[in-house]
Amino acid sequence: MRVELTENTDKLAKRLLRITGENAMLCYQCKKCTLGCPSAYAMKMKPHELMRALQLGLENEVFWSGTMWICLSCETCNTRCPQDINILKLIDGLRASSLKREYYNPVPELPMLHRLFLRLVRRFGRIYELGLVLILNLKMLNPLKDIDMAMPMFLRGRLRIFPHRSEGAKELRQVMSRLEAMEEEE
Amino acid sequence: MRYAYFPGCSLGASASDYDLSFRTVCRALDIELVEVRDWVCCGASSAHATSHLLSIAMPVLNLSHAEQDGFDRLVAPCLACQARFKVANKEMKEDRKVREKIHRAFDYQYRGTVKVSHPLEVMIEEGMMEKIRSRVRTRLSGLKVACYYGCVLTRPPEVAQFDICENPQSMDSIIRALGGTALDWCYKTECCGVSMTLTQPDIVLKLSNDIFREAKEVGAHAIAVCCPLCQANLDTRQIQIEDRYRVKYGIPVIYFTQLMGLAFGAFSQELGLEKLITSPQDALGICGLM
Repeated sequence: MRVELTENTDKLAKRLLRITGENAMLCYQCKKCTLGCPSAYAMKMKPHELMRALQLGLENEVFWSGTMWICLSCETCNTRCPQDINILKLIDGLRASSLKREYYNPVPELPMLHRLFLRLVRRFGRIYELGLVLILNLKMLNPLKDIDMAMPMFLRGRLRIFPHRSEGAKELRQVMSRLEAMEEEE
Repeated sequence: MRYAYFPGCSLGASASDYDLSFRTVCRALDIELVEVRDWVCCGASSAHATSHLLSIAMPVLNLSHAEQDGFDRLVAPCLACQARFKVANKEMKEDRKVREKIHRAFDYQYRGTVKVSHPLEVMIEEGMMEKIRSRVRTRLSGLKVACYYGCVLTRPPEVAQFDICENPQSMDSIIRALGGTALDWCYKTECCGVSMTLTQPDIVLKLSNDIFREAKEVGAHAIAVCCPLCQANLDTRQIQIEDRYRVKYGIPVIYFTQLMGLAFGAFSQELGLEKLITSPQDALGICGLM
């Protein structure tokens, strides 16, 4: 692949530096991140390739690869990076900025999960496990996913049928709304 | 010792056995747990994948409740929860901009006085090991345990501030204190796939199979865990893993608190052992516990 370097090349890395405080330009491609990454095998763009793509400002390729959603947030890459780059923070920065962007996402289930998760938490204050799984399975058009796990769990009392409402939910909603207003301002 | 206790969402539902056994063990060790008033979800991975500020605000809400009620220590048994709490404490202390924004969103201004620990940290505090040894009634003699610590207990070290990052020892030393054998193995801190279980189960099956394969290789009778998400992935998906990879493991995945309770002579109902999907009967039979 041939990449033309222009004055806009480092725009993406600079934007991420501003929102996450992490500098992708420090990476010198030692590949330690990829070698330790448990889900790299499932990524089309491996972690070290993601770092190079960020340096070259290949924004579309970064978003289309789906790497940021296959990442398990296990922090192995951060811990081992010889340049002390917090790669997870960069990935979180990408995830957050993807919300305001229209792009082809090969793994749409992940952002869907996060949206649904936070919606349920906003409502009940805590996560409603069974509701999350059921709604997610429906949305993924796979309502019977993992049905074989449901019965053994139910019989052992590990499925809570009704959600648990926290008394703190009201305060949480208030805080969430204030944060949203603050982020809107920026 | 008195702690604010943050059970977290899983311990109220799919991991009630962890909650039960941790409370039982704490009672035996004279540790007082007081549930955080009106606690809410810590935000887990969904919050930090959505908004950095939100991922700090959700733990801070709980921490400020504990602080207002006069606690300076908080214990959270779920790895995801305790990691999010530790990150929040660190950022509130070190990042002035984040602190100011968070303070603007809250009525109560969190001062950052609550220290967060995982149960393993509580158990290896000074003097606790002798106490644990003194409570053991049935030694776990002959039981070979692979201690599985999971991803974010020791990572990243500047946030976790606990144990040896790539080869942790705390759970191993507890198992040894109970009279069992803690095995040396190299998957102690490999990731199990966490929340991918909901959307990309193939990844979880692969990663969990790697963990089981290694545990079997070193001859483990049981895998001891310290996180509800690890336990859920390894225990509930074990049959699927065996089907997919055409192997037979049958290795029970037991919380370290359940093993402690067993050695202390607690009843199995006090530890929620009946909730395990892969029966621990054969493994515990080795040391005459079942």
